[in-house]
Amino acid sequence: MTSFLQQAFNGLVSGSFYALLALGLAVIFGMLRVVNFAHGALYMLGAFGAVALADTTGLGFWWALLLVPLALALTGTLLERLLIRRLTALDPLYNFLLTFGIALVCQDLLRMKYGAHSQPYERGPFTGSMDLGLFDFPRYQVFVLAVSVTLCLAVWLLLTHTRIGTIVRAATERPELTRAFGIDTGRWVTPVFGFGVGLAALAGVLAAPMRAVNTGMGSDLIITVFAVVVIGGLGSVFGSVLAGFTIGMLQALGNLYVPVLSQTSVYLLMAVVLLVRPAGLFGKEEPA
Amino acid sequence: MLEIKGLGARYGEATALDEVSLHVDEGEVVTLVGRNGAGKTTLLRCAMGLRRDMTGRVALAGRDITAAPPHRRARLGLGYVPDDRGIYAGLSVEENLTLPPAAPRSAWPLTRIYEAFPVLAARRRFPGGKLSGGEQQMLALARVLRAGARVLLCDEPTEGLAPVIVQQIGEILRGAKEHGVSVLLVEQNLRFASTVADRHYLLAQGRVVESLDNTEVRRREGELLAYLGL
Amino acid sequence: MKHRLSTVVATAAAGALLAGCGGGGPSSGGGKISDDKIVLGVLTDLSGVYADIAGPNSVQAVQMAVDDFKKKYGDKAVTQNIEVIKADHQNKPEIANTQAREMYDRKQADALFDVPTSSAALAVQTVAGQAKKLYFNTGAATTELAGKTCNPYTYEWAYDTYMLAHGTGSAVTAQGGKNWYTIYPDYAFGQDMQKKFETAITGAGGTIVAKDPTPFPSDNYSTFLLKAPRLKPKPNVLGALQAGGDLANVVKQYEQFKLKDKGIELAIGLLFDSDIKAIGADKLAGTTFTTAWFWNVDPKAQAWADRFKERTGQRPTFVQAADYSAATHYLEAAQKAGSDKAADVSKELDGTKFSDFFAHNATIRAEDHRIVHDAYLAKVKDPAKASEPGDYTERVKTIPAAEAFDKPSPDCHLS
Repeated sequence: MTSFLQQAFNGLVSGSFYALLALGLAVIFGMLRVVNFAHGALYMLGAFGAVALADTTGLGFWWALLLVPLALALTGTLLERLLIRRLTALDPLYNFLLTFGIALVCQDLLRMKYGAHSQPYERGPFTGSMDLGLFDFPRYQVFVLAVSVTLCLAVWLLLTHTRIGTIVRAATERPELTRAFGIDTGRWVTPVFGFGVGLAALAGVLAAPMRAVNTGMGSDLIITVFAVVVIGGLGSVFGSVLAGFTIGMLQALGNLYVPVLSQTSVYLLMAVVLLVRPAGLFGKEEPA
Repeated sequence: MLEIKGLGARYGEATALDEVSLHVDEGEVVTLVGRNGAGKTTLLRCAMGLRRDMTGRVALAGRDITAAPPHRRARLGLGYVPDDRGIYAGLSVEENLTLPPAAPRSAWPLTRIYEAFPVLAARRRFPGGKLSGGEQQMLALARVLRAGARVLLCDEPTEGLAPVIVQQIGEILRGAKEHGVSVLLVEQNLRFASTVADRHYLLAQGRVVESLDNTEVRRREGELLAYLGL
Repeated sequence: MKHRLSTVVATAAAGALLAGCGGGGPSSGGGKISDDKIVLGVLTDLSGVYADIAGPNSVQAVQMAVDDFKKKYGDKAVTQNIEVIKADHQNKPEIANTQAREMYDRKQADALFDVPTSSAALAVQTVAGQAKKLYFNTGAATTELAGKTCNPYTYEWAYDTYMLAHGTGSAVTAQGGKNWYTIYPDYAFGQDMQKKFETAITGAGGTIVAKDPTPFPSDNYSTFLLKAPRLKPKPNVLGALQAGGDLANVVKQYEQFKLKDKGIELAIGLLFDSDIKAIGADKLAGTTFTTAWFWNVDPKAQAWADRFKERTGQRPTFVQAADYSAATHYLEAAQKAGSDKAADVSKELDGTKFSDFFAHNATIRAEDHRIVHDAYLAKVKDPAKASEPGDYTERVKTIPAAEAFDKPSPDCHLS
């Protein structure tokens, strides 16, 4: 039983990353109707940002956690202004080509500078483990989970209790109509995109002390995150976060009890969800 | 208040609107009648700015708004009540009401909205998706009034609703008119139209074929109903 | 200027002459250099995960061998015309297949070198067999190349999974790490490593308490790290058989779960300098692993590594050192045979015993074309003792050639 709980908790830690990335994808999709295939690359850039910050200025983890997401969010807004914005009127295929292309360009540029092997990064704060009652767990990983849960809650409160939140939710549900109610949704598109990018970058910084930092780290992770988003419902913030944590647990427990299925279980679940509820568990059918 | 001149729009090869010109004066309720596919909804969408590929001009209170995006038009006083009511299922009734920014002078305070629409007051915390069709229609109207719209573009507000509700909607529209609000109303229900409207445009195949007043509508009711296929 | 011009004219004339003769005529005569030119091809991963282990510096290593050979023989060289060409196989077997064909057939490569990634190496081996041209594997670890799939055109110069597993597996078990929990990435390399480690561990009197395949690639190994201390009996060694980025993930998380404090030591299957750098030498200090060679294992190696660094600015990996060694032996054999034909060169190579800066007490086994040589049980150096930032490795002991590699596989029949 302890072992089960321990593994479930471990799954939540994995899920923390899925949730942060899926959350960003969800708000971006909701507001822009753009599936950001560059999201994994932005996560990777977050981790490399932490490495580069330490290499060039000697600033450590806490500074990275603050500065890197901000810097990348800013870059994200530029990206939206210059490129992503042009996608709105185009066939979704262009959305895939552009954002996927951006991911490849980021990856290869970094590969030119750093090569494909992993980069060293400090251990980060909170070394050692802490007693969680039934079992011990590395303190840093508990910290990651706490940050992720806090952020997801904060975003939820932001969405439900602020004017900006109402606008974002309205624009997510009916983008065009919202403009007819006197709201310049275009004004909010850029900051929302930047925010989503910032979340991905933050996840990347959080990953640096506990995961291998290399140019492939984003592309490996993002495939699962897309499965998470599809299961949770494209554009559904609540669904994405919930699916993120759930899939994390499913994988951890799968690794332990049914290793054969550990890699495929996510996609099996995705297939089942798509058959039963094509819009995902918490998604809504797009009006045609 | 609202003036449309030489409006044209296409759906691919087909003509949706062809040189439509009409006007709605201050405090006037005008209906657009016509068969399905006559171009009524398209006309409202063009007026609201939701369709950009159109020809012709749209003016509001003497000001040309042809180039203005939808949110500018809304802020200048156009209030849109779409045919599907446009209620946000995920937003509460109150969030739906307060979503559009309120115009400085003409906006209704929430308390006044809740007095006029007690059913909404009772359900203010409900998600919009949980309301009945009639309640959603009330909410859609209340929303544009609360924002302080001076010209309402209403797309079939009575469709599929019980007679009692239809009557209430009529009262709301008449009440708005008394406050100087103009209404361009798409309506299939001729009898309802003649009780609230001052004038009527008959739209067929994207053109205004006739302009009628209430007496004429009453006189030719049978003929018109037959024409509309009702 | 005049001189160069005349060379160009002469070459052009010779080319015209050859073309006039029709393809192949003189080259099949035996005891000659085909097209009066030797072409060495480096087929490698130029930009992917193995680009640092092999990659552009492997090309440099082969070029360095060619330059040294030319300097040594001058006018007496079997041909003045030795060219090095390169191609990127992106670690994909199907690309490796096409590129190998292109190099052998269209670019007249006489021998290919390097080829990291086992599946790609196996593809190149097949093409070499069809083209009847030589292939010197230095980058891939699978024992199959000299086993089930062996052919007379392929030589295994550097290392294999047997060497890695037996060095580390036996040594750690002998030092008291009797109970192993092994985790291996779930693909060809990992499965092969797992099998070889099991044999080595049980052979040395140890036990595999549990073994788990891990998803590949993966960034979360916590499941296995949490499971380790709960196993009965409790393992005292965690055998991590992952490579590259996956390995860095395992080690970072092994650290966080403090398994060392719980009495579970870490043993690593395959470790390169780039991995040590990524994980941090301080975190890995003392970790035991097996390697075919490292750049400062002895003064001869270091002397060569210094020349390599002058050329490339970097320290060589054992793959790159093996490329130099193999290319040099190929050229020497062609020089002796006066031919670049595969059969002639092989005749010179097979059965040769030698020691060079890379391979000590080496034999080119005629039975399976495996080059057996001394390997090293090593440990990661305490960074405080490092002489330079790239000085990561310390020899624990030399594993004699006869023990380092398996006996020839009964599955391999070269004739």
